This record gives sequence, structure tokens and C-alpha cells, in this order.
Amino acid sequence: MLSKIMKSGLTRRTFLQSTAAAAAASSMPRVALAADKVIKIGFLAPLTGPVAAWGKPGLDGCEIWAERVNAAGGIKLADGDYQVEFVGYDNEYDPAKARTGATKLIREDGVSFIMMLGGDTWPGVQPVADKTGMLFSTLLPSDLSPDTTTLIAPAEVHPIYNVTGVEWLAENKPELKTAVMCAQDDALGLPSVATYLAAFEAAGIEMLDDPLLFDPATTDFAPVVTKLISGNPDIVCLDTCYSDYVHPIAEQLFQQGFKGQIISCTADFYDQMIAKTSEEFMEGFIFQFPDFDDAALNSDQINFADPNGFYAEFNKRFPGQWGAVSWEYASIMDLWKAAAEKAGSAEPDAVAAAMKEGGTGKHAFGDAKWWGTELFGIDNALVGDWPVVAIEGGKATIKEFRSIPAWYDKHGDLLVKHMKAYDQMWDQRG
Amino acid sequence: MLDLLAQTGLNAIYAASYISLIAVGLVLIFGVMGVINFAHGELYMAGAYSVVFLYTDWQLPFFIAVAAGLIFVGFLGLAMERALFRPLRDNPLGGLVASIGFLMILQALAVMGFGVRMENIPPVTQYVIEFSDRVRLPLARLYVIIAAVVLLSMLWVFLKKTRFGWALRAAAQDPEAAALQGISINQTARIAMFIGAGLAGIAGALTAPLVSVNPHMGHSVIVTAFIVIIVGGVGSLEGAIVASVAYAFVHTFVTTFFDGVIADITGLSLMLLVLIVKPTGLFGSADRA
Repeated sequence: MLSKIMKSGLTRRTFLQSTAAAAAASSMPRVALAADKVIKIGFLAPLTGPVAAWGKPGLDGCEIWAERVNAAGGIKLADGDYQVEFVGYDNEYDPAKARTGATKLIREDGVSFIMMLGGDTWPGVQPVADKTGMLFSTLLPSDLSPDTTTLIAPAEVHPIYNVTGVEWLAENKPELKTAVMCAQDDALGLPSVATYLAAFEAAGIEMLDDPLLFDPATTDFAPVVTKLISGNPDIVCLDTCYSDYVHPIAEQLFQQGFKGQIISCTADFYDQMIAKTSEEFMEGFIFQFPDFDDAALNSDQINFADPNGFYAEFNKRFPGQWGAVSWEYASIMDLWKAAAEKAGSAEPDAVAAAMKEGGTGKHAFGDAKWWGTELFGIDNALVGDWPVVAIEGGKATIKEFRSIPAWYDKHGDLLVKHMKAYDQMWDQRG
Repeated sequence: MLDLLAQTGLNAIYAASYISLIAVGLVLIFGVMGVINFAHGELYMAGAYSVVFLYTDWQLPFFIAVAAGLIFVGFLGLAMERALFRPLRDNPLGGLVASIGFLMILQALAVMGFGVRMENIPPVTQYVIEFSDRVRLPLARLYVIIAAVVLLSMLWVFLKKTRFGWALRAAAQDPEAAALQGISINQTARIAMFIGAGLAGIAGALTAPLVSVNPHMGHSVIVTAFIVIIVGGVGSLEGAIVASVAYAFVHTFVTTFFDGVIADITGLSLMLLVLIVKPTGLFGSADRA
């Protein structure tokens, strides 16, 4: 364990310096602190277990965000400045634990806002949200319905943004004509399957077979990959598979001799995938989540403060841990902070109203609009542009930002058709 | 089509290999000690983390890490026998509950020591045996197949040809009669636990570079192992091997020709069918069932 702690960057010297600094700080008079008032934000996500990669790095990113905001004076409300503090609760991607966690965060910790990954855990939390009126956020707008009035999806419109990757492929690699897909059979995998099916149909790419669904408990992916590539597809789509699946599937594709195009929602820790396959094999791998040191993120349209600095700080503190969600929860906090300061209050109702005022908002990847009535029954998803990312020379590179609403305006009927076929419309989910 | 069948067959042989290593260990522990070891999946996980620690972190040769994994998990099994199962020998339910508690402890220790994320283990080898363009067997998977054949053959020889093996079988058949013949029940329990745990450990160690290694990885293998030992007959080593092969072939072929969810349903249906037709399992006896 000690070696792990040391590997994380904590040296003996750093430890002694930190301890000395903490001791000095604790001995300072209270009046010396910029703000004694604290706003607590709940972080209710899987911090352990197979889905932890979409929880823990987000909390790590939020801690960096909080330090930056607190150093700049905190959150400025009508009654003064507040420091911000995150209270984490590990729901282990279990609905019952998520419900317990939501209750604890609200009743015992007094949080003003709760961020979640969502998915399978949201049904456990929804009764708590209904009862308390607490404002929640999810990364998965497929949780939204007309009943979820206090749930917002302001960071990502999973899985709708996946259409941008397929659209980009169709335009830039028109020789790719056929595809196959696999996904875990759960609340993350199925809406993504429907979305990719719509995107492939819109792009004129033929599906050689029905999507291959596998149990989330699967450990050996050789049979899955054997089936996937048996028809010699041009494209293998890995849907929104967890990184615990994407890695072994990619490795199997490599070992079983696949030489075509791979597209996936995520490619967390892609450097490890390259190490297990080869740089040549991974060249051109398309996914949707950039590294934040990408120069394209320095353009004026980006609403995330100092993305390159954030990425550098994250990697300094948590080497090798950067993933799809490292920045997302922090970007939600940008929106929340702006809304709370606009409202002058951290009260959930006031913040929600300020956030949605005018029907637009500043998404990390550019100005966006609150949207979703047709798909989710409520306009609580913030949607705009999304990046298409390719691995080039062993490094994730943003190829282009594409508009999700523009795709939906042209092909929305296809998306609705496939969502209905997989029982993923808001009025079909049980 | 022939290529697809051949590749699926190779996939099934690999699956049968690691499943049988785990299931035989579980059966051996149950057969000799009468304890259902729910922590067996976590012993598999401990074997995998031995490779993470020794091969990935300390950069020792892979096969040394695998051997160390076998020994380490074997000793972990000895500790379980001494601290958990021996005091509860007359209380099988107590042993089961203790093993559930121990699995949680092992998971928590893995989280504390290695974190929650899956571990990145460098490939042992990227060499692939190519029978044709579409029929391939990665060398790392062949290692698992060879290890299973060698270790299970050695176990068979040990049980059938050595005095310790006879003692083990005697203790499994009738502990009281075995004790009256001067066979130490504590000694046989220790041997069974070391071998059973060691087999789970080496399965975890050998497959570590091929699967997602995380603190919760034991859950899925223990479910499969339970299905296998119920089909094979609780307490039967031969049954565990035959059922491992049958389950692996059925699951792999159904996954390839239908999908993974249907394969899981088929595996469970197979277990239910066996329970209905022959409740003691394919090779089980009424005594142990």
C-alpha cells in the first residue's frame, strides 16, 4: 500500500511539508480565513466496483475545481462568500445504496446540490428527489422523464453525442460500409445501442448482425469477439462499454486479427490499450472524450476554465487516472456556481431556475440549449456541440466539434425509432 | 464456418481450463471439510493481485509471480482453515457465513492496497499461434490450458497414488471412520485447503493479464463455479472437471452463435435440468448432496 501511495506522487518530503503547512494553518486565527461559510455539494457516484472509473476520477476533478474556486474567493451569494466542499458517498452503482446515500447527504450533511453518474442508480434516488426537492445532476440524460423535474443533465447527453463519431466516420472514411456492435445489457448499454443503430442507419452503414449483448459479469471476451468479427465487418462498435470491457475486447480484437475500424463511446486509459495491442492497431480508434491538453480546447467557444492547466494538475496528482469523467462533474459545478451566483442563493429551486433561464447555458464545449422534450419528456438536458476524438500516433486528438442538435434535426425520427425498439423512450422505461 | 467453429472450440477449451481449476479447488474444500467456501472467488482475485504486485509492480518474471501466487493463496487457505473453518468444523452454516465475511475482508484489503480501478498488467507475450487467418490461439491463453491439464493431472495422481491422497479421499468419504484409522482430520483439512486455495490462486494468477483485475473480480467466477459443481455433483472432482468442460463449451458456443445473455440463461437452465433429472449432479452421491 505504501508503494501505491508513493506512486501517487506523495513523497516523504511532500508529506512533511504538507503536515507542517496543515499545522501552521490550524494555528492561525480564524479571522485570517477568507470565508468561514461553507456550501456542501454531494457527490453520489460509484467510487468502488466496476463502474468506479466513471465516478472516482470525477470526484478527484471536483477537488481540484474546489481548490481553484476557493482560492479565488469562493462562491459569491447574496449573503456573502462561501467556500465549497464536496461530500462523497460511494453508491457502488447500486440503487439501494444510492438511495441511502442521497438521504444521508441531504439530512446529515446538508448538501445544496447532488451530482450523480445516474443510470441504474437513479431509480433508487428518485423518491428522495421527489420528497425533498433536492437538485440532482446526472451524466446520463436517459434518466430524465417528465417526472424528474429536479434532475438535470448539464454535462453530457449520453448517448446522443455518439452520433457525432459515426457521422464523422461516414464523411471521412466513406469506404467503411458495414458494422457490428456489442454492449453490456444494462441501462448504459441499451440506449447507446439504439443511438449507434440510428447513427449507422443515418450514415448509410449496414449492420451485419443484431447488436451482441453480453452480461455485465462477463470476464472472457474471446467468444464475443469471435462472433463480432466472423462476418468481416469494416467497423466494430464497442458502444458504451465500461473500460473494464473496452480493454479486453480491444485486446481480443487485436489477438484475433481484426484490422478494421473501431469506434467506441469511451477509451479511458487508452495508453494501456496501446501497450496491450500496438500503436498501429489503435491508430484511428474513434471515441468521444478528449484529453484536456488538446489545443482545440483553447478556442473561444470552450467554456471550461484553463482546460490545459486542469489536465496538467489532474495528471500531477493522479497520474494515469485521467478518464472520460475527470472534467465532467467539474464542468457541472461551473454551471451550478454561475447559476447560484446569478440567483444569489444555493437553494435548489433558485439555482435550477437561474440555470435554465432563457433556455440556454454555457456547456463546456460551447454554448448550448436546454433540450430533450421529444426524447426525455422534459427539457433538462443541455445539448450543443461535442468533440469527435481519434487516437493518432498514440495520442487522443480532437478531429472536430460536431453539433448534436443539427444531427437530430435531420435524423431525429431514426433515433426515436430505435429508442422505441429498445424500450428506451422515457415513457417505456419501467 | 469451419474456422468459426474451430476458433469457438479453442475459446471453449481455454474457458474450460480456468473454470475447472477454480471449480476443482472449491469441490476439494467442500469434499474434505464440508464447507461451502464463498470466499473462493476472492482467492482467485488474490492470485491475480499477486501477479499485479510481483509482475507489474516489482517486475519479477511472470512465471515466478504465478508460482508465488499459488503459494501465497495456498497459505491464505491455510490461514482460513485454522482461523475460520477449524473452530466451526461442526457448524457448516457457521463456516459458510465466516467465508462470506472473509471475502468482504479480502475485497476491502484489495481496495486499500491497490485501489478500486482495474489494474493494468502488461501482456506476458503478444505471440499468437495462427492456425489460419481466422483461427488463432494467443500463447498467454495456451499457458492457462497447459497449466490446467498439468495441475489437474498432478492432482489426480496425488489423490489416487499417494498415501496423503488416500487419506484425503478417506476423510472426504467418512471423516469419523478416517479418524479412527489414525488419519489426522486437521492434517487432511490443511492439505485440502492449501491445494484448493492454491488452484484458485494459480487460476487468478495465470489469467490476470487476460481479464480485468479488480477487487470485485471474484464475484462472476464464483457464480460460474457454483453452477459447475452443482451440475457435476457437489463433492465430485471428476464431476467438476466434466461439468467445467460442458459448461464452457455450451456457454462459449451459445455466446458465439446467439449472445452472451442467452448463454447465461442456457447455463442456468442446464443446472436446473440436472437438478430436476439427477438432483445429486452428474457424478454426485446422495451422501454429499
